[in-house]
Amino acid sequence: MSAGPLAIPSVAARRGAARMSAVSLALWTVRFLVVALVVAGTIGTILKDRYTTAQWFEFVLFGLTIGSLYAQVALGYTMVYGVLRLINFAHGDIMMCGAFAGYFVATPLENSGFLEVHPVLGMAAILAAGMVVSGVIAVLTERIAYRPFRRVQGFAPLICAFGVSFFLEQTFRGLFGSSVKSYPAPKWEGVEFHWAGLSVPGVDLLVIVLAVAFMAVLYLIVQKTRMGMAMRAVSEDGEAAALMGVDVGKVIVFTFALGGAMAGIAGVFYAFLFKQVYFYMGFTPGIKAFGGAVLGGIGSVPGAMLGGFFLGLVESVGPSLFLDGIGIKAPYELRDVIAYTLMILVLVFRPQGILGEHMAKKRA
Amino acid sequence: MALLELSDVQVFYDKIEALKGISLSVEAGRIATLVGANGAGKSTTLRAVSGLIHPRAGTIRYDGTTLAGRQPHEITAMGLVQVPEGRRIFGRLTVDENLAMGAFTRHDRRGIAEDRERLLQLFPRLRERLHQVAGTLSGGEQQMVATARALMARPSMLLMDEPSMGLAPMLVEQVFETIRAINADGVTILLVEQNALMALSIADHGYVLESGRIVLSGPGRDLLDDERVRHAYLG
Ligand SMILES: Nc1ncnc2c1ncn2[C@@H]1O[C@H](COP(=O)(O)OP(=O)(O)O)[C@@H](O)[C@H]1O
Ligand SMILES: [Mg+2]
Repeated sequence: MSAGPLAIPSVAARRGAARMSAVSLALWTVRFLVVALVVAGTIGTILKDRYTTAQWFEFVLFGLTIGSLYAQVALGYTMVYGVLRLINFAHGDIMMCGAFAGYFVATPLENSGFLEVHPVLGMAAILAAGMVVSGVIAVLTERIAYRPFRRVQGFAPLICAFGVSFFLEQTFRGLFGSSVKSYPAPKWEGVEFHWAGLSVPGVDLLVIVLAVAFMAVLYLIVQKTRMGMAMRAVSEDGEAAALMGVDVGKVIVFTFALGGAMAGIAGVFYAFLFKQVYFYMGFTPGIKAFGGAVLGGIGSVPGAMLGGFFLGLVESVGPSLFLDGIGIKAPYELRDVIAYTLMILVLVFRPQGILGEHMAKKRA
Repeated sequence: MALLELSDVQVFYDKIEALKGISLSVEAGRIATLVGANGAGKSTTLRAVSGLIHPRAGTIRYDGTTLAGRQPHEITAMGLVQVPEGRRIFGRLTVDENLAMGAFTRHDRRGIAEDRERLLQLFPRLRERLHQVAGTLSGGEQQMVATARALMARPSMLLMDEPSMGLAPMLVEQVFETIRAINADGVTILLVEQNALMALSIADHGYVLESGRIVLSGPGRDLLDDERVRHAYLG
């Protein structure tokens, strides 16, 4: 072979290498800037000493509360991604369905006074409604919208998931109106616990404890039951699982039911915390929970829980901790920006997340 | 009696005809082998039998009933179990969970526990690694997991796709020994191999596959002695 044709690829290769290093230099600069900003902000905030210990405690507690909800919703994203390699964009809306179901049970229970007298029974009924409605709707979306795509590669299933999301939102809007409904506030939810000068709202405590308990149950189902084991096997290699005698279709239905029920619980809690129910309410927490799933490593069940909590904490503590210190006036307005920035940074720098595998290479 | 019988099976991947009408049969209690070069269509044949892909034409019958339209898990539940190419063990599940997955179609707790014990005696290495995540095992150990996992289903027939692939020569010997032992226990075997010499020497009957067609068949010994086979596959 002559030297001519050989010289061309080598020049191209060198150019490629130069471009690579320019890009990685830029990426390193970004990493450095982000870290510098966070460190500078934190030091600035600490020096200014604007927040009291009680306030910091409040930020952390709220972060854990909202984080426990993101974690619950993130589980649905991660489990469905595991068995189908599909990002179920409509999952946030499944949460909204549960919130509506909870609202429709909570309102008459509160009006009749039942919820005041029997908080435990009342909450159990409300949560059950959220779980069942979200679980059933999740299973229906799988049956109707996703199953036809099961052997389809490419973007079609994802586009369909967008369609499902809009369908659910617009259906609920059509059926129940676009106004924001106010969720009932039973008197007992005002309870506060005091400890060492810190006050802990009972609602936050209730949400965190119950969310953790439900997630523990889900984790046990995934780890210890036959269906849970089949789900993990399908996540890893669906064909091999089928060869072992696993009905993959059944496992997928099970996964949607489990993820949907968990989102339904989160929806009830979300409505309970913010006192608002409306057709669009699933969108933002849905995106953030997805961010939590990515953060923890999509496909990983413990990762989703960890990522959800982490995202909640960063968005709650972050504005005061990093942003206030660098002189931003209304840091709390930027909490969503922090959450989305975190998600983008993770996707760019660590697509496999904290505990997961590489999103793009999973099956290779 | 033929336990597994394929007649005129045609398989397409889009417009590529991977199997151009193949017929073969495996007698109950025997070892049959399908040998051929890379890309000949060996895995495609096993995938069609297991219901992972559907033939465009032809019939596949197992134990007297047609497999047409059956799903992979249903075929496994009939006792026709595949150990797929590349082993495909569940790397993030423990060895014990992999074995439990093998018994997924069964519900006889006692029998499952007995089979597990028996297989751990057959593969003592696996007992040491029982609670370890299977992905951390060596290639030879992973092959043991794949074989033990399939046997946990208590199959009547095993389809094995290149079980010797990527193993050191000493381990290859062991794999063929194991196959013989499984067969001696009464399990019918269809073995797919590129290692034609080894496969034909343990098989009762052999088929040679070339670009989607069976070009030769006969008793394993005869094929080993056949000029054309020696020339093409045994060097
Ligand atoms: N998923 C697929 N899509 C398209 N072509 C395939 C696919 N799998 C296998 N083939 C083609 O089918 C033929 C047979 O493949 P295979 O059965 O894997 O051969 P073997 O197992 O004998 O090596 C090959 O030409 C291969 O390229
Ligand atoms: Mg092959």
